[in-house]
Amino acid sequence: MMQKKVCMVGVFGTGKTSLIQRFVHSRFSERYLSTVGVKIDRKDVDVDGAALTLILWDLAGRDGFEDITPSYLRGSHGILYVADGTRRETWEQLGELRALAREAAGDVPSVLAMNKGDLTDQWALPRSEEQKLAANWDVVRTSAKTGDGVEEAFLRLGRATIARREASR
Amino acid sequence: MSSEPWRAGAGYDPAAEELAELRELLLGADRRRIRELERRLDAAGVTGEELAELLPEAIALRARRDRQLARALAPTIEGAISESVRRNPREIATAIFPVLGPAIRKAIAEAFAGFAASINRAIEHSISPRGLAWRLESWRTGVPYPQIVLRHALIYRVEQVFLIHTETGLLLAQAAPADRPVTDADLVSGMLTAIRDFVGDAFGREQDAGGLRTFCVGELTVFVEQGPAAVLAAAVRGQAPEELHPRLQETLETIHLQFAGPLGEFHGDSEPFGPTVPLLEECLETRLATDRGERSRRRPAWIPWAVAAVLIAAVVGWRMYRSAREWNGALARLRAEPGIVVVDAERDWGQWRISGLRDPLAPEPAALLASVGVDTARVSGRWEPYLSGDPKFVNARSSPASARLSIERAIRRERVLFSVGSSGLDESAVIGHVSTEFRRLEALATAINGRAILTLVGRSDPTGSDAGNAALSRLRVEAARSALLERGVEASAIETRALGATSPLAAADPVERSTINRSVSFEVRVE
Repeated sequence: MMQKKVCMVGVFGTGKTSLIQRFVHSRFSERYLSTVGVKIDRKDVDVDGAALTLILWDLAGRDGFEDITPSYLRGSHGILYVADGTRRETWEQLGELRALAREAAGDVPSVLAMNKGDLTDQWALPRSEEQKLAANWDVVRTSAKTGDGVEEAFLRLGRATIARREASR
Repeated sequence: MSSEPWRAGAGYDPAAEELAELRELLLGADRRRIRELERRLDAAGVTGEELAELLPEAIALRARRDRQLARALAPTIEGAISESVRRNPREIATAIFPVLGPAIRKAIAEAFAGFAASINRAIEHSISPRGLAWRLESWRTGVPYPQIVLRHALIYRVEQVFLIHTETGLLLAQAAPADRPVTDADLVSGMLTAIRDFVGDAFGREQDAGGLRTFCVGELTVFVEQGPAAVLAAAVRGQAPEELHPRLQETLETIHLQFAGPLGEFHGDSEPFGPTVPLLEECLETRLATDRGERSRRRPAWIPWAVAAVLIAAVVGWRMYRSAREWNGALARLRAEPGIVVVDAERDWGQWRISGLRDPLAPEPAALLASVGVDTARVSGRWEPYLSGDPKFVNARSSPASARLSIERAIRRERVLFSVGSSGLDESAVIGHVSTEFRRLEALATAINGRAILTLVGRSDPTGSDAGNAALSRLRVEAARSALLERGVEASAIETRALGATSPLAAADPVERSTINRSVSFEVRVE
C-alpha cells in the first residue's frame, strides 16, 4: 500500500477543517487541533489507476499568537496550503508559511487550495494577483461548501508526490 | 642489422619482420622482466597498486605473528572513532544500534534472573485455590472460565503493536489479535507520532534521546520504543511490566537489522514490511497470574493422570480386598467342616483351585462354598477320599445301621412345596440338602455292597379333576428329579411316583392339608 504524509497548512479560519470534515475520513475529534495542534485524517485517491492513501496532518491554523509547529511538518511528502479567497491576509502569509515548511520538510510538492470559492460576492482576490500566485503555486479554487475543486486539489497533490518519487529514482 | 620491417626509402623488408618475430620469441619475456625491474629501480619505492595487493596479506601475517600490529594501530583507530563521534555521533549511534541493546541486556539479564524467579515462585504459590474458586464462579455464573480468569488474573496483555516510520509517522506494519482488529491503524499511527512530537516539543526533548517512551490511557499503557528509522509502539492492557521494554526493543533491533534497506529507502510503500508482521505478533502476549514456568505448566498435564491412577488403584485395591475377604471366608468354612481337609488352595485371575481330602460322609465342598456366597462356577476342586477321625464319622462308620436311619429320616423329613396349580420349583435348598444326604446314604450303602434308591412322590391338593391332579403331580415330580440330576444324583438311583390327590398326606387343618399335598416328598431305601 502506498501512503504519503501530507500536511495541511494555512492561516486560521481558511476552512481547512471544513475541507476535511466533508471530504476525508476522520476518526479524531477537532479538539486535538486546539490541544495537540494537529489532527490526523485520511484521504484515499486514485492516481492514474493506482490507489494512494494520503495521511493528512491537519495543522492548527496560524494566528496572531500561535505559529504552526515545525516538527509536525518533518517527513512530509507533500503540503496542501489553504488560503481563503475572501481574506487577503490568508494568501499574503503564504510566502512565510512556505518558507517555514521548506525549512522543516524540504522542497516537497505542494498545492494551494484557494478556498471558499462559492462566496463569489465576497471574493477578494483580484485577477492580477491570482495570475501572480499561479506563477509560483499550483492553485486550485475550492469550495468546502459545494465541494468544487476539493477532489482535484487532493488528486493533484497525490499525483505530484508520486511524480516526485519517480523522478528521484 | 636493423630489425624494422619498414625502412625509409627502402620499403617493406620481410626479412627484418621475421627477425623481429624471432627475437620476440626468444627474448621477449626476459626483456619485459628487465624493463619492469628498471621501472621499479627508477621509482625507488612501492606503488599504491602493489601496496593494495600486499596489505591484507601482510596485516594477516603480522597479526598471526604477534600483537605488535594491534598495538601500533590502536591509537589511530581510537582517534578515528573519537573524531567520527565528535563530528557525527548519529552515524555511529545508527551503526551500532542493532548490537548495543543485546550487549546491555546480556549484562543485566543475570542480575534480573534471580529477582524474576522469586516473583514467579510467589505467584505460583497463590494459584491453585484461586483457580478452583474461579472455576466455581464460572460454573455458578455461566460465564466462560477463560473470561473469569481474565477478569481476575490478567496481569497484562499486549493488544496492539504498531511499527511506525520515525520521520513520516506512516504506518509500516501492525499486529493485533484476530478478535480485536485495529481500525484506522494508519491514523492511530500518525496521531501517535504527532503526540510524540508534541511532547518532545513541549518538554524540550534532547535530540535522539528517545522522547516519549510510555504513557497511560485509562487501562491501557502505550510503550514506545524508538529506533533510528522506525518506532515500535505497543498498547498494553493491565499492569505492564518494565521488562516489556527490552523485549520490544529487541524486536525493533531485529527489524532494523533485517529491514535496513527498505527502512532507508522508505517513501510511503509499506509492502516490503509485510514480513515484519510475525515479529510484531510475537509481541502480542498475554500474561496471567496463573501463568508459570515451563516446569509448572506441565503440572496440570500429569495431575489428571495421577488422579486417574489413584482412582484406578483404589478400585483395584477395593476389589482385591473384597476378593481376599471372600476367599478367606470360603477357606475358613471348608476348614471348619469335619471330614474336609484343605491341603492346597490358590487363586489365579479369578479362578479358585482347591484340593484336599474329604471323608465320604462329609458334605460336598461345593455346597459348603455356595452356602457362604461363593460362585462355585469359578471353583475347581480336587478331593481325595479319606476316612476322617472325627467322632461323628467314626460312629457313623461303626454303626452303619444307625447312620443309615439317621440319613433316611433326614431325607424323609424334607418336602418340596409348590404353589397352587404350579410345578415351578423354587426350593433349591431342599433339593441340595436331599442330594447331599442321599450321597451319604449311597456311601453307606456302597460300604455294605448295597444300593440306595431315592423315590420322589408327587402330590396335588384335591382341587380339580383327578386326571388334572395326576398330571400336575407328575410335572412336580419331574421338576424335582431334574434338579437332583443337576446336583449329581444318578438317574438310576431315582424312582418317581405321581399320586395326584389319591393318597393325601394327613393334616388337621384343611388349609395346611392342601399346602402339604402340593408337594414332592422323598422316600429312600437300601437294596
